[in-house]
Amino acid sequence: MRLLEFQAKRIFSEYEIPIPKSVLITSVADVAGLAFPTILKAQATVGGRGKAGAIKVAESASEATPAVEELLSTTVKGHRVQAVLAEEKVVVERELYLAVLIDKVAKLPMLMASSAGGVDIEMVGRDSPEKIIKKHVHPSVGLPRYVLQYLATQLSVKERMADLTNIVEKMFTVFYGCNASLVEINPLAVTPNGLVALDAKILLDDKAAYRHPELFDQIKEEQNRLAKSEKSRAQQLAEEYGVTYVPLEGEVALISDGAGTGMLALDLIRDVGGRAANFCELGGLAGTESMQQALEVVLANPKAKVLLISLIGGLTRMDEVAEGIVNYLKEHRVTIPLTVRMCGTQEEVGRAKLREVGIETYDDLPTAILAAVSGVAAD
Amino acid sequence: MAILIDEHTRVLIQGITGKVGSFQAKIMLEYGTSIVAGVTPGKGGTTLHGVPVYDFIEDASRNHEVDVVLCFVPARFAKDAAIEAIDNDIKLLVLTTAGISDQETLSILNYAFTKGTRVLGPDTPGLVSPGKCKVGVHPNRVLKEGSVGVVSKSGALSYEVCKQLTENGYGQSTIIGIGGGPLWDITQRDTLEMFENDPQTKAIVLLGEVGGTMEHEAAAFIETSMSKPVISLIVGRSAPKGAQMGHAGAIIEGERETAGSKIDALIKAGSHVAKNPAEIVAYLRKLGV
Repeated sequence: MRLLEFQAKRIFSEYEIPIPKSVLITSVADVAGLAFPTILKAQATVGGRGKAGAIKVAESASEATPAVEELLSTTVKGHRVQAVLAEEKVVVERELYLAVLIDKVAKLPMLMASSAGGVDIEMVGRDSPEKIIKKHVHPSVGLPRYVLQYLATQLSVKERMADLTNIVEKMFTVFYGCNASLVEINPLAVTPNGLVALDAKILLDDKAAYRHPELFDQIKEEQNRLAKSEKSRAQQLAEEYGVTYVPLEGEVALISDGAGTGMLALDLIRDVGGRAANFCELGGLAGTESMQQALEVVLANPKAKVLLISLIGGLTRMDEVAEGIVNYLKEHRVTIPLTVRMCGTQEEVGRAKLREVGIETYDDLPTAILAAVSGVAAD
Repeated sequence: MAILIDEHTRVLIQGITGKVGSFQAKIMLEYGTSIVAGVTPGKGGTTLHGVPVYDFIEDASRNHEVDVVLCFVPARFAKDAAIEAIDNDIKLLVLTTAGISDQETLSILNYAFTKGTRVLGPDTPGLVSPGKCKVGVHPNRVLKEGSVGVVSKSGALSYEVCKQLTENGYGQSTIIGIGGGPLWDITQRDTLEMFENDPQTKAIVLLGEVGGTMEHEAAAFIETSMSKPVISLIVGRSAPKGAQMGHAGAIIEGERETAGSKIDALIKAGSHVAKNPAEIVAYLRKLGV
């Protein structure tokens, strides 16, 4: 889960990483309490806000009022803005880049830094990777002092060694303390008064949500209130149920019991000239309830003209998911043609349950896909 | 032969008395797997399907030789279970659990590395050497003993392909699911090396997908070090850019993570690349395997 800037900065301030003074505003009336000049930053969980016009400078209240009005009525990359962070303007001498993340190949936490911070860091990484410093930090070794000294030299902030040490150490504390996948400061400003995190990006690992229930609940509640993105009914349901759902442009609604087999089905649908309405997979261990939820999600998409359920169970038991289909059909009227492919663990029991409600299943995936896709043509 | 497990492999199951563990243990026993013990804290002294259950691996180790630990413990307790297995100097830990956080997975993999335990997974369906031993959850009907090695990130995709192989008379030496990622100890490349050195394996099927860059490492290994034919299938050719397609590993970010770039790299490395399971069989026929 990606945090909004003000949420990430609140965590920074709890851990004493220096940030500019700021106040969160949600209406034009809040402009009255601001100090000027101020930077007005739309709160949305997307990158490239500066280039998208979602960050504005106001020298006075008369400039701030229309700017806030505009920001609160805009949509940034599909996210409707409902809050603006008004931040003290800082004198910036240079912009640096710092990040803590997991290097998946080395299987170690990694510190990344660059003296070329700012809006074009992605381009720096692509075109001049030598400008990005990368250092693995083994959890059992910790952060070596030489790495900090090396960093201070490379970033030309030797006179700010204490500041830099504090910030990098705290970034690691946040990284481990919140079970983050990424803690990023871009830019980290060199100012006459020291180093200051002008922006803050934190990605939390959803798989660790149950280890930090209060933090996750607070973040989610705020995002639902202040950063509701424009989502379809199907997407909202998928989020609520924790179902993997990616909306696509076509007509063949798809439910699979695994990511790999789901992507295969997606490719095969396209290869025979069909178009999938979505990607939806139940993961390796699906049951009665998750099947019912997935059906509710994919059928909430009005563009779906046929439904293909493709199941090949290992850990997932066909008797259980068949029961999910039967339960759903008992409670809802499904008006589009339904094609089920079913094989794997407990398939005999699963097939029998479906036969009782008049559903014949396919054993072969390509045949089932052809049947489903031709159902669109017949419509 | 086959890789990692064979008819001599002795298996211990963590979480054997749970709903999933107990159901799958029964299927594995029917398949002929030698399950010597199970562990569930608090259930020590009981038996399940004739298998003795212990509170700790240490207790089980006093009475049984154990080669492989298969873990069905839920994510919340999986790290602890994995550390217990590693502490007992188990050679291979098969971690079926999905949903372990990345930082906990890192701890498990790094600790395993220092102690010399190899880890398959997390989020793996396990592995099977058909006719010899099954340490996983693959549906039995898709399995047949033979000479094709299969390695896959996705469990269900490997069932899909094995079904096609088996129905067309091509048996398998070992089918190994490395897990959905994004963090692995045993990688596609490692598995290719094991298959290359296994006399039973005559050809290898490599099943990959969008996301991550692991297939590029596999391609480099095929180019420099494989003498046996490799037939690849990369799914997610039609996946939209930037979308999270289910597996933690399957988010398309950079260019190297697309299905297209992986297919190009594999072709360049000398692998045959199939578009669907039926084409894999066609390649095997053409190669005379």
